[in-house]
Amino acid sequence: MLTLTNLQVLYDRSIQAVRDVSLTVPKGKVVALLGSNGAGKSTILKAISGVLGQEDGEVIGGDIRFEGDSLVHAAPRAIIERGLLQVPEGRALFATLTVEENLIMGGYTRSPAETREGLERVYAMFPRVKERRKQISGYLSGGEQQMVAIGRALMGRPRLLMLDEPSLGLAPQIVETIFETVLALNRDTGLTVLLVEQNAQVALKAASYGYIIENGRIVLDGPADKLAANDDVQEFYLGFAAGERKSMRDVKHYKRRKRWLS
Amino acid sequence: MDFLVLLIATGLVAGATYGLIAIGFALIYKATGVVNFAQGELVMLTAYIGYSLAGAFGLTFIPLLLVAVPISMAVGLVLERIFIRPMLGEPPFAIVMVTVGLAVILRGLIIVVWGSQPANFDAGIPTTVIRLGNVPFYPAQLIMIAALGLVVLAMWAFMRFSRYGIAMRAVAANETAALLTGVSVSRIHALAWVLSSGIAAIAGMLFAANFKLAPDLWFQGLKSFPAVILGGMDSIVGAAVGGIAIGLIESLSQGYIGEGMREIAGFIVIILVLMVRPYGLFGSRDIERV
Repeated sequence: MLTLTNLQVLYDRSIQAVRDVSLTVPKGKVVALLGSNGAGKSTILKAISGVLGQEDGEVIGGDIRFEGDSLVHAAPRAIIERGLLQVPEGRALFATLTVEENLIMGGYTRSPAETREGLERVYAMFPRVKERRKQISGYLSGGEQQMVAIGRALMGRPRLLMLDEPSLGLAPQIVETIFETVLALNRDTGLTVLLVEQNAQVALKAASYGYIIENGRIVLDGPADKLAANDDVQEFYLGFAAGERKSMRDVKHYKRRKRWLS
Repeated sequence: MDFLVLLIATGLVAGATYGLIAIGFALIYKATGVVNFAQGELVMLTAYIGYSLAGAFGLTFIPLLLVAVPISMAVGLVLERIFIRPMLGEPPFAIVMVTVGLAVILRGLIIVVWGSQPANFDAGIPTTVIRLGNVPFYPAQLIMIAALGLVVLAMWAFMRFSRYGIAMRAVAANETAALLTGVSVSRIHALAWVLSSGIAAIAGMLFAANFKLAPDLWFQGLKSFPAVILGGMDSIVGAAVGGIAIGLIESLSQGYIGEGMREIAGFIVIILVLMVRPYGLFGSRDIERV
């Protein structure tokens, strides 16, 4: 459904945030993109949504294809209208607007009738959001804000939903609720999901396929269960130590010990 | 007592002018994050356009508004397109400097086109004095106050219920997130200029009808600045209330403290406001959740 081939992104004409990324998101699947801070995950999502220009970023190589058509030079609105929606990192709600106004903005590209119907759907999915619909969204709790952010994206009727670190700063229980909702959407409506996460544990449980990105490069990919069983992933992303407690002397070997870097 | 009532009446009329001009400032600031230093010049330009239209077609006030406001909106759109749009993405300070340059250009252009002599602009408004209680008003003065009320009401409804109004507030709150919902940020910026120019036309023509039309009308823009600060930069209701408050303060201090206070009272208020409540009476503090 969505294919990136050798994508390269440059910020400010000097900083290369994404060096060479190829990945595929098949229709109806949940695909995870894992990596630590600054690996280039959010940049990839911004490139797909066409909003790199906001931060002086630019796609300088490779291609982004959605159902066969290149999105590299498409306007953000055209990309949304094709059904590619993003829940940005850190929620990015319109903090001074009410919850309902945030959701209405999510339906900006849709007709008023579709917007009304979308509100019903989102309120049915998140009763907590309905209770708070008249409140200023900036004052909501983090979990509620994340629900509004997902609701806002759903208002645009996505066929492929991209989630940028939905677990960021949230209690494990709330993360679980949110992931369950998204997975239910995937199961029941066939919504395709591209999940960007630092939290490999939750992400690999939810996804069927995973990619690991480091320094702007995909270093490892495979079915989620295989990735979760990989020794390196276990050590560096899932926090299982191989064997005994390590001394600081071993820590120094971190980089060299990652087999994929050789 | 009569003296006080008279001062209040004068203050209200002056305040309504400030309020109308301040709303134009607030709209552009809210949507684009830029203080438009050419706002006073925009008021002057649209007033001159109204003057020419009234002279050419002999229109009375309401038809004049119906013609002059859309034309002024188109002028605003063109100015935004030529001067502001190419600056999209530049730091706000650079854009503010462009508006300063635009202000100077417009001032000169107006003298080139319409000459430097003051003109009488009756705008088709009758000049018979109306007495409310025992306070005499000119019709143009009452229309000014009514216009402020109507514009505030219209803008409030627009911001609250229209999807473009909500989009304008959304762009102000988070530009990238607005792009991610499919809003064209540059169109929203243009819309702010269009609306602001329309309101400038109303303010300019009414001011010229109340006083006179001269190439120093731009100065009213500067004099409305305290109203914007008092109201809180990005609040439309605040701009209106700020305008009325500044008008009253100026008029009362002129009457009771002394000649010349009218010119400085507003700016004394600015300094006090900036020290005590920098975001104004109605401006938004950034929401920070702890």
